[in-house]
Amino acid sequence: MRTFVHILKYKLISFIKNTFSPRFVTAVRGLGSLLVFSGFSMVAYALSYEITKYILEHTRIGLFLFHRFVSMMLFVFFMAVNMGNIIVSYATLYKSTEVNFLFTKPVTFMQIFVLKFFDNFLYSSTTLFLVAFMVLLGYGTYFGYPWFTFLAVLLFVLVPFMFLSACLAVLVLMSLMKIASKIGFRKVMMLVATAYAALVFIFFKLSNPIDLVRKVNVHYPNVDFLSREDPGFIKFLPNNWVADFLYYLAKGDLVHGIPYAVSLLLVTAAVFALVLFIAHRFYYRSWLATFEFSAIGNSVEAGRRMKRFDFRKNSILPSQIESLLKKEYFQFFREPSQWIHLILMIVLVAIFVLSIQNLNLSLRVTSVHTMTYLVLYAFGGFLSCSLALRFVFPSISLEGMAFWAQLSAPLNLRRVYVTKLLIGVAVVLAIGLLVGLATNEPFVRMTERRPLLRYFGVYSSILVSVTLVAVNLGFGGYFSNFQEKNPIRVASSQGATLTFLVSLIYLVAIVSVISAPLMKYFESLFVFLPFDFRVIIVPGTVFGVISMSLTAFGLVVGLRSLQRDF
Amino acid sequence: MIELRNVTKRFGSFTAVDDISVTIPRGEFFGFLGPNGAGKTTTIKMMAGLFTPTGGEIHINGFDIVKQPQEAKMTVAYVPDQPFLYDKLTGREFMFFVGGLYKMEKKKVRERVEESIEHFEIGDWVDKRTEDYSQGMRQRITIAAALLHDPKTIIIDEPMVGLDPKSAKIVRETLKQKSKEGIVVFMSTHSLPMAEEVCDKIGIINRGKLVFTGSQELLQAYKKDLDGKFESVFLELTK
Repeated sequence: MRTFVHILKYKLISFIKNTFSPRFVTAVRGLGSLLVFSGFSMVAYALSYEITKYILEHTRIGLFLFHRFVSMMLFVFFMAVNMGNIIVSYATLYKSTEVNFLFTKPVTFMQIFVLKFFDNFLYSSTTLFLVAFMVLLGYGTYFGYPWFTFLAVLLFVLVPFMFLSACLAVLVLMSLMKIASKIGFRKVMMLVATAYAALVFIFFKLSNPIDLVRKVNVHYPNVDFLSREDPGFIKFLPNNWVADFLYYLAKGDLVHGIPYAVSLLLVTAAVFALVLFIAHRFYYRSWLATFEFSAIGNSVEAGRRMKRFDFRKNSILPSQIESLLKKEYFQFFREPSQWIHLILMIVLVAIFVLSIQNLNLSLRVTSVHTMTYLVLYAFGGFLSCSLALRFVFPSISLEGMAFWAQLSAPLNLRRVYVTKLLIGVAVVLAIGLLVGLATNEPFVRMTERRPLLRYFGVYSSILVSVTLVAVNLGFGGYFSNFQEKNPIRVASSQGATLTFLVSLIYLVAIVSVISAPLMKYFESLFVFLPFDFRVIIVPGTVFGVISMSLTAFGLVVGLRSLQRDF
Repeated sequence: MIELRNVTKRFGSFTAVDDISVTIPRGEFFGFLGPNGAGKTTTIKMMAGLFTPTGGEIHINGFDIVKQPQEAKMTVAYVPDQPFLYDKLTGREFMFFVGGLYKMEKKKVRERVEESIEHFEIGDWVDKRTEDYSQGMRQRITIAAALLHDPKTIIIDEPMVGLDPKSAKIVRETLKQKSKEGIVVFMSTHSLPMAEEVCDKIGIINRGKLVFTGSQELLQAYKKDLDGKFESVFLELTK
């Protein structure tokens, strides 16, 4: 225990010194993080309060159905925490230099495991925890709960719920390590991705929200019996326990609610005990197994095989560009945390794109259409912001200490920068265009195929994608950390948070600029008046000027960062 | 040829390199010595274009490293003190990568890579990703990659760190051979015997200032004044 506390003490000192360093850059980063987190918290709180109020007072779906939807949201949240923990815990538990260091010291495997487990939980779940807490606060404020109820729900429901998700993530990861050493990492990741997708599909198939709404409409207000009709599979899901606890709490029936909270606590404790037991038996062995499958994947024979884009192959590109592109390709596709995350984000985008295709726009009300359009537009922009932050921002930092090879070569650094910029633009623009066109398509259909919004979708996607990539690459260079090898950690650093803030401010500015002409466009459509195209000239120009100015700023910051001493 | 004219490097109020001037003609093997933190790596990083000098000029083969960086770097092989490589590339891929950066033709790169693999005896593991390499393996790959493009000048920082005796011998012989071929070698080292053995000229830096520059003959004269050991001269000059 003394050793454990000793290590914890020095981790804390290191964290405090890094976070509160009296340097200007650190202060700017800190302020940026504070603003982003405060902004997110306020938005989460306000949205939660307003949505709860709107649903319960205007749509009047009733407490039961409302909490069934809460259960579905909690399921998605549980999965998000779970997947986040799997991805980060691989780096934390198996690829961390700190773990390698501690294994050479008289520290037990279990102490190392527990230390890194909590490290991982706090690191990968803090933001989601903050959002969840603010949502709970907004929801609870609507019901007028006293402060001690919040505290109790926080400590005995929300924290155990997230902790359970993290425990399951580490259990899955340790099993993965075992299987991966036998059948290979890629195959295992494909299997896990399929299993998770199947789980989500089965959940939404069994808890069919449309069927649920129909049943509630038939039996309202005597709907409590419906919970007994839940498929068995759903009854055993922790998101259901939390939702049912909240449901009975909202009804003031704690006697029926408490068993759900107790179940959650007991199961969480049991799963944590299981994690410790498995870790005691298996963590060290699975840590060793990572070396094994790394050795399998890194054999001389595998290296000798001629691959796609192999350096030995001739190319039509100039040699410097060819070298830079091939290096980027191999660095990305040989790092599982990179390509797995990209696939996950593409899946998210696909779900978004498919779900908005069935948008019902039959209600021809200008304000409703404008608001719907702006919300979808902002969400699409938010996806591009996340994509740029996750994959473009870390790009310069990931050159790592090996960057000397490029900096000492007869290479124009603008070429390095432009190569990274073009790669970033290609990825973000491809996805941005897909989202931009898909978002606009239902509205284009509604306007009897008038193509204005489609053209705007293309114009906007190009400008927004280029701007976001330029900002993220530039700021990524300014806040570069060549010592950090984990892209997820780079993308969640304070510098990254500040960059995200800048991207969000840009997005808000663009949404504000387009809202007035958009409203005029829908208005002219619904009252059958010709649309005066001059209305879009000024906002379109402002949109372009803001985007190009920010792009130029990002480029200057990024290029100057490459000229710093290395 | 390397020419440093009144080169200074400051980090805030700290002066790491203070008004250094030295000229190293073609074919000379220059040993750059000094205690830890004396300014050796800072000087070398300025010569390689990784640091910008606060004052003075650095000319490499007639090109100013600040004003004509690409022309200067085209003629230089730089080997850093820490052989950091791209973890996800194999040793062979790293050499091809560097060859591409120096605008070498693919055919030429292929030939030079094969020659280097044989010369540095790295064939057994050159096709493994560098993430599993030892310090010595990384060092050998770094040196092999640096020499691919037939440089006119070699700037090498602590080349023997992490090398086993056999690899150290290969590197030492290679550098001596290159010097004989007319290439300038600027080598920083902590190894006094090696400096004595291979260098034509020696420079000693202490607290950012060049406190000694001279040929082996001058060094011998200094040694005679003390107890005949290079170590005593070094300690005397850097105390």
